[in-house]
Parts: sequence; C-alpha cells; structure tokens
Amino acid sequence: MTDSESPTVSFTDIEATICHISHMIEEDKLYFVQMAGAPLMALLLGKRLRAPNVGYVVEEGAVCPDPEFPLPRMMLGSSGTHFRAVQWTSMLAVDTHAALGFMDYGLLAALQVDRFGNFNSTFIGGTYEQPERRFGGPGGANEIASQCWRTIIMTKLQKRKFVERCDFISSPGYLDGTPGARERAGLPPGTGPWRIVTAEATFGFNDTTHEMRLDALAPWTSVDEVLAQMEFRPQVADKVDVMQPPGEQELKMIRADIDPGGFSTGKGDWLTIDVATGKRIA
Amino acid sequence: MLEVIARGTGEFKPPDPDGFRAHVRDHKERRLVSKLVSERDAVARFVSDGDYLAYDLNIAYRGPGSLFREVIRQKKKDLWVMAKFTWTDVSLLIAGGCVSKVDVGWMEFGPILNRAVKDGSVKLMEWSNGALAYRLLAGSLGVPYLPMRYLGGTDTFEQSGAILTEDPYTHKPVCAVPALNPDVALIHAHQADMYGNTRIFGAGVSPVEMAMASKRVIVSAEEIIDPLEIRKQPQRTTIPYYFVDAVVHAPFGSYPGSTQGLYAADLEQWLAFAAAGAMGKTDEYLENWVYSVSSHQEMLEKRVGEAKLQALRDADTLKEGYYD
Repeated sequence: MTDSESPTVSFTDIEATICHISHMIEEDKLYFVQMAGAPLMALLLGKRLRAPNVGYVVEEGAVCPDPEFPLPRMMLGSSGTHFRAVQWTSMLAVDTHAALGFMDYGLLAALQVDRFGNFNSTFIGGTYEQPERRFGGPGGANEIASQCWRTIIMTKLQKRKFVERCDFISSPGYLDGTPGARERAGLPPGTGPWRIVTAEATFGFNDTTHEMRLDALAPWTSVDEVLAQMEFRPQVADKVDVMQPPGEQELKMIRADIDPGGFSTGKGDWLTIDVATGKRIA
Repeated sequence: MLEVIARGTGEFKPPDPDGFRAHVRDHKERRLVSKLVSERDAVARFVSDGDYLAYDLNIAYRGPGSLFREVIRQKKKDLWVMAKFTWTDVSLLIAGGCVSKVDVGWMEFGPILNRAVKDGSVKLMEWSNGALAYRLLAGSLGVPYLPMRYLGGTDTFEQSGAILTEDPYTHKPVCAVPALNPDVALIHAHQADMYGNTRIFGAGVSPVEMAMASKRVIVSAEEIIDPLEIRKQPQRTTIPYYFVDAVVHAPFGSYPGSTQGLYAADLEQWLAFAAAGAMGKTDEYLENWVYSVSSHQEMLEKRVGEAKLQALRDADTLKEGYYD
C-alpha cells in the first residue's frame, strides 16, 4: 500500500516532523543534538539522504559519529550510535564547543513553547511544588538553546503546547522578547530559537520583536486550522510557504534504518494523505 | 567583590574547597595498596545515609547498575542524588527508599517520581545536565565556583543555586554555579587494576571530573587487569589510582544497561521496571532483582542466566575503537 505507485501515503505526526527537520540539515554546519530520540533521528535522516558528511555532537560526548544502520532500539550510548566518531570525549567537552561558538544549530524537543520560543520540559499543570505532571527536566536543552547560534525545536501543534505562558521556562528562547534580553541574562549574543517545527507547520521569529511567526504549512492544513491549535496568535508571514510532505524514501529509511519497528516514531498520530494533492484523506 | 544581579533560590551545599583539601590530606590513600573489595563492603564502607551521591551515566548505558542495587539492598537513606544525564535509575533509588533530594539535569520520569514529588518525600532542585557537569568541573579544579554562558533568564535558574553576576573582566552579565564535591561517586568502567587505575573506553559524561571532585570514589570494573598493563599503556588511563577508594570487580556491572564494546542493553529488563512502576508493583520488582539475591553475581546467575548474558554479548557487534 505504500509502494511508489500508490496514490496515498500514511505516516505519523512524529515521522512528518522528523522529515521536515531533515530538509533543513546543511552539510557545512555543525549540530548539537539533544539525547537520543526524534531530534537525532531527524539529523540522521538528513545526513543519510542529503548531507552525508554533516557533523554533529551529542551530549554524551561523541563528536561527529557516522552511525551504523539499522540503529538499535536503545540508541542511547550504543556502540552503533557512536560508531566511527572523530572523537569520543565528554559532555563538558562538547558543551564548551558550543560555548566557543562552533555549534551552528541546536536540535531539541520541547513539551511546551511560548510566543518568544521559551520552552518547557520540567512540569505541566499545577505549581512547581505540586505539579500535575512532572517531567524529566531540561537535560542538555538549556545549554544547547543558550549557546548554539540557532536552535531548532520540535513539538506537537496543540493548544496545550503553544501556550501564552509556559508553566515553567526550562530553557531560554528570547525571554521577554525585548532587545538584549538574552544578553542581560548572561547568554551569548546573536543566539536564539530559529525554527519551531511541527507536523503541520513551521514557525520562525520576527527579527525585531522576537515574536513567533507562522512561516510554512503542510499541504494538508490551513492557516486557520493551525491558529486554532494555538493558545496565542503568532504573526503570520506575508507569504506562507507550503512544506514538502514526507516522501516514500524518507519514510522507508525511518522505518527500516533509523527507528526500526517504529518503536518511538510509530507511536504518534497517524494520518493518510493523497500523494498527488497533499490533502489529508484519513 | 562580585555584584550579584540575580540569585536562584535552590538549595545547594555551600562550596568548601579548603574543606575538600583537608579531607584529601586526611583521608585519601596515597600508597599503592589493593582496593579490591566486594560490592557489599564497598557500599557499606563508603556510602553513608545522608550522603550526596553522584554517578556517571545511567541504568541504560555504562552506569553502575550493580552498585545501585547494592545501595538499595543495604537500605541507604536520605541520599541527595545528582540526576545528570540519568534514566530510570533515579526512580529505582527512590523506589528503594534511598533518596530525599535530587539535583535535576535529566531523569526519566514516571509514576514513582511523580508520587514522590507530590507527597513531598523527595525534594527537587533544578539545574541542567551541563550545569551539573560544570559544578563537578569546579569541584575538580579546587575552586568555589565557575562562570558559564547559560541557565540565566529561565525558571531553571530561579530554582537552582546559580547566580547572575557582573563579570569583573568584561563587565557583562555572566552566570556562575557553585562547585560541587559529592560525598561519594559511583563509576562503572571497562577495566581497572587493584590499585584503582581505571580505563573507560568510549564517550561519556564526566567520569574524570566526578572522580576528582568526590570525597569517596567507588569504581566497578568489567575486568581487573594487571597493574603492569596500566604502566605499559599509560595514555589509556582515564582515572589514576589515588582518586579511587574502592575497586569492585563487576562483569555485566552496568546491567540492564550496556557497556560499549562488550554487551548491549537488556531492553526487556529495563521495560519490566517501567511496567512495575506503572502497575504499582515496584516492591515485587525490588524483591526479585535486589532483595532476594545477595549479590550482583547471584542476580546474574539466578535472575538473568548465561544464555541471556551471551545474547547481550552477541548483540553488541561493534568492538572497533574499544578493544583494538
């Protein structure tokens, strides 16, 4: 049903987000990728299909690996994930590479994001002392979002994720959005969130006001549908681009090599689109 | 005097580099003596109730799995745990009743952790993986704090013990974190000799800084090697002997986690703990995997079995870079 002749293609929202980010991967840049999950999968898909020599570091100190595929289900720290790196070092080492300005892009996932790209990975609902749901904490996201030149954040397009105020700002976007806010907080100048990527839409930021801006849409949705899934109203670009939907080759590679068996990517929400029109049919 | 612009409210142990030096002078062994002990003796002697406990990596990947279980078996209490790049190990230690405080970088969350936070039995302080590594770096340098370029501006900063200050050289705002000198560190390694000279192969988080910064250091090693092997290839030494207080021989010591170049993670076992937590059957899990066996070796023999161990060895096919 998903061979190249078929008129429809089915995928999860996580797979779509991974494909969108994979289209952004540039071979002449360095990436700092948080832990082993969807952000790393997106980088690796881009590396496999478009940018074979792209360099990246992971928090646990592997510098520019060239992983062996298929990746194991437990990617974290597996010898396959760290295969043929140029250096095996430490978290402190790669952290300082970012502090020095070598890391062009940070690649992260977030639970909740506000209009200035501040994001949450600590708790949802209730108070800090009595959270409704506690989560794992910023991990390496704070140092990545503070020190990489540009940060790409993946999340889901849902009202409870695109919020007026994060329940907790674990990691910095443009803080209160005023000019110099990050620098006043001790963060390196010229850095900040660059893209927020979901299955349905990609957002950038206004250079002056630092407010989130809807830049691109998946072909199966509309501006109104996207805005209806957000608690705040973002700016909307004068010309909203249409994103390329996930392709057969990309999906095959995710399912066979990057997340064999769909252990994490298969758990998203499934949708089916008409290949010719890009419109959603299920 | 530094001007403090903002100060986080999180609790931390005040840095005391001079106190640490005095501890080193009075308690750290300088002689080449064998430090080989059983996991039971190492934990009984070097882990005390109320300690600040740090460990490198986690229960999925080259963490000190056998030492976690021994800490629980000995019912250590009131530990302040560093959750830097951790996994379900923090929940495991909480389920064992060992933890009262956690410094959060990252930890796998779940019902055990949620309950402990809600009922107030475990208190959290917020940092990040890197900030905790920086705190260890400061601790390993013998200085009271280090400036760094992140944490500022966030709620994480507010719940941490970091400060924002005016840097005396650039006169720009900069964040600073207090040095951390854990009471005890647990580090799993590929090889060690009986004196504590330790080799870790592959990437990692901060085993060197952790060993240097901690008052007491327990190394568990997959293999105990001849001290002459260490001296023949000194460049391969990750941690020299005088930082190390105890050496425990622990084949499959990271189980259910992986040790690169030797064996893969046992995902089924790891998922069994998550399932036990979700179903409220953590006590059964601890009884089976910790309390009903007297040692790591007995757990491997009775609960895991040689066939499974061989399958995990076979699953880690990529040795390149580790043992060649």
